[in-house]
Amino acid sequence: MRLFAFIIIFICALEGKALAFDARSPEWLALGHYRPRLFGDYQSSIDSDNFFLSPQGKNSPEAELEATIVLFQNEGQNDKKCLFPARYKLLQKNGVSLKPYPKCEELEQFYADLQPAGVTLLFTDAFMNNPASLFGHSLIRIDTKRKGTQLLAHGVNYGAFTNGEENGALYALLGLTGGYFGGFTIKPYYDIINTYNNIENRDIWELNLNFSPEELDFFVAHLWEVGNSLTRYYFFSKNCSYMLMEILDAVRPGLRLADKFPLQAIPLDTVKAVYHSPNLVKEVNYRPSRQAKIEHKYKQMSKPQKKAYLKAIKNEDYSFDGLSDEQKAGVLETTYQFVQYQYVVEDIDLQTYRRRSFALLKQRSNLKAQDTLGELREGKSPLKAHDSMRAVLGFGSRNGQGFQEIAYRPAYHSLTDDNFGFRRGAEINFLNAVFRHYDNDDNFVLQKLDIVGVRTISPMNEMFQPLSYQIKADISREFNPNNEKDVYVFNFVAGGGAAYELVEDALSVYAMNNAYLAYGGGLPHNQWAGIGLAAGVYADFGRLRLLGEAEKVFATSHFADKMKYKLEAAVTLSSDWALAADYIYQQNYGHDLEEAMISLRYYF
Amino acid sequence: MKNLYLFSAVLGGALMMSANASAIDSTGCGLGSLAWRGQSGPAPQILAVTTNTMFGIQTFGITSGTSGCDPNGRITGGTGKMVLAFVENNMEQYALDASRGQGETIETLAGILNMDSDRLGEISQQHFAELFPSQDVDALQVTLKLLEITQA
Repeated sequence: MRLFAFIIIFICALEGKALAFDARSPEWLALGHYRPRLFGDYQSSIDSDNFFLSPQGKNSPEAELEATIVLFQNEGQNDKKCLFPARYKLLQKNGVSLKPYPKCEELEQFYADLQPAGVTLLFTDAFMNNPASLFGHSLIRIDTKRKGTQLLAHGVNYGAFTNGEENGALYALLGLTGGYFGGFTIKPYYDIINTYNNIENRDIWELNLNFSPEELDFFVAHLWEVGNSLTRYYFFSKNCSYMLMEILDAVRPGLRLADKFPLQAIPLDTVKAVYHSPNLVKEVNYRPSRQAKIEHKYKQMSKPQKKAYLKAIKNEDYSFDGLSDEQKAGVLETTYQFVQYQYVVEDIDLQTYRRRSFALLKQRSNLKAQDTLGELREGKSPLKAHDSMRAVLGFGSRNGQGFQEIAYRPAYHSLTDDNFGFRRGAEINFLNAVFRHYDNDDNFVLQKLDIVGVRTISPMNEMFQPLSYQIKADISREFNPNNEKDVYVFNFVAGGGAAYELVEDALSVYAMNNAYLAYGGGLPHNQWAGIGLAAGVYADFGRLRLLGEAEKVFATSHFADKMKYKLEAAVTLSSDWALAADYIYQQNYGHDLEEAMISLRYYF
Repeated sequence: MKNLYLFSAVLGGALMMSANASAIDSTGCGLGSLAWRGQSGPAPQILAVTTNTMFGIQTFGITSGTSGCDPNGRITGGTGKMVLAFVENNMEQYALDASRGQGETIETLAGILNMDSDRLGEISQQHFAELFPSQDVDALQVTLKLLEITQA
């Protein structure tokens, strides 16, 4: 009761001060990055003092607005005025009488360098070689009206300043708990393309936003304001993608994009939210990775071209006998791209790289003919991919005992989920929790918690030899063959292997060596370690996906010394629904386990 | 249960990130970094990380996006400076485009040089051997030659 009275007094005290503009208006709140907290008060996401004019600014939109109006209604302090051009524009637009805006050289140079023509949201797909990039990345491009191409535009990236400490547990812990500060950096777009398309081999999707000239101007002005600020970085919530939502909200408060991501901001989800906002996205462009471009060219080559190309990349044989000039041009250019790829992945050294590049281009420059192989212009849009969260409802039988299963996975994609818009064969399961009700015992149990599971089945071919690998940690309820009871076990598995494609873009076989560590109170000696030899088949026919695997595990304990067979199939029913079937058979010293389940998967 | 879930979230995240990760992008040039001048706290450190004042000349090779970057991370300056910065950072792609007489980097350079892009493509291919006389040519040599042949 006393608290209630206090709040009333508090609110009245604030209302007593008549400000020339409403500090609780969506425009002001979004511009100050104020986010609602309990009891209706607000706090800014921004953590650095230089973003606030009032000492109470972080926690009081009113105090900050008052200080802003005081600044702009008085002479002097031009340095400060020059830091907040968007605030000035907002107040001016709303009829607050202000002194003229000063001349700000650095700000003018900022506009002059950018020459803004529009705003584009960029999404880059997953980078499987880097744990922090598994979910993709998003950033913003300020399009340029400079003559030429958008290579001269600028990319704006929000990221953590890690001082180069980018491995180890400390880095992970700090990244997850706000131990680093995040801020905005800017780079020419050609640098962004080099980094993502050419070095990390990731596709870029460009979503051109439908901003009016006033909105564009306001966007750039606000970028200048936050460009100096720092915010505590949280890998899952206040991350690269989330802060961009707050920035877009500042331009169009009605979008309320930040509201949609209170707990986790997965880059793809934020990009989809932008895509589905009414009247926000004008057009979507695709910029394929270098690897995707090479593969596309190779697929279109004629037989003699393919032969010449493979000789060129393997034996450095650049004779190309019997090809027409057009065909030669295509092979030369694709070989050149492949040499660039090899250098980036450190397959060849700098001297080899230079020698090959130079020899290829010298020959190419002597041909007037143009390559007639088509360019890769369309990709499978991640905007149409299934949503990240998944719920499962299943019915099955475990050694003759019926059960019902419900499962929830906050993120992200399994091998048998629909691969459209994802990297095929790249699995990321995070915090998948599986609960079951068993009929005979009538008990409801946690069957499994996949803490994290990353797996790739990446086929090798004559050009690219990626490693297939898996890293998984889970807590699961397992069958103890000694007493035929279920016990909880913490499992860790890491493995590596190779995959080969038998049917192009559809069917691969793979083999993997796995290392196991397990710990649990119900286990003999509380733990076991083992190695597993696995072989499997993975098929993706679009709507239908199949995964079959056999694995022999050699372990320090009879508990885990077993032969395991797994079959999994899933069919897409609609963009949000899939039907799946699972079968498991484990042979273990005559105490076998057999389990089958039919389930419905819902993506949301 | 909730605690287990939370604990698992942290553990899972830690596992995900503890493998060697050059994760969150911390390179690049600081936006509006000039405004940090003279401040204490973490800002000067960040300034040191983010202002890649690299004035070495890039030789034939792929850059990782940090070289040739203006202290403020922006494309700035007059024609010559812009051409040099662009060639420095896009040398491998420009070499390809020059050898075939067309492409995105030709269109971009034509924009900077305020000339017709077909024409630039044509003369780049024609003068390829002068622009790239050896495998060890550097960006400055290419730029000077490019400016020379486009003036003619």
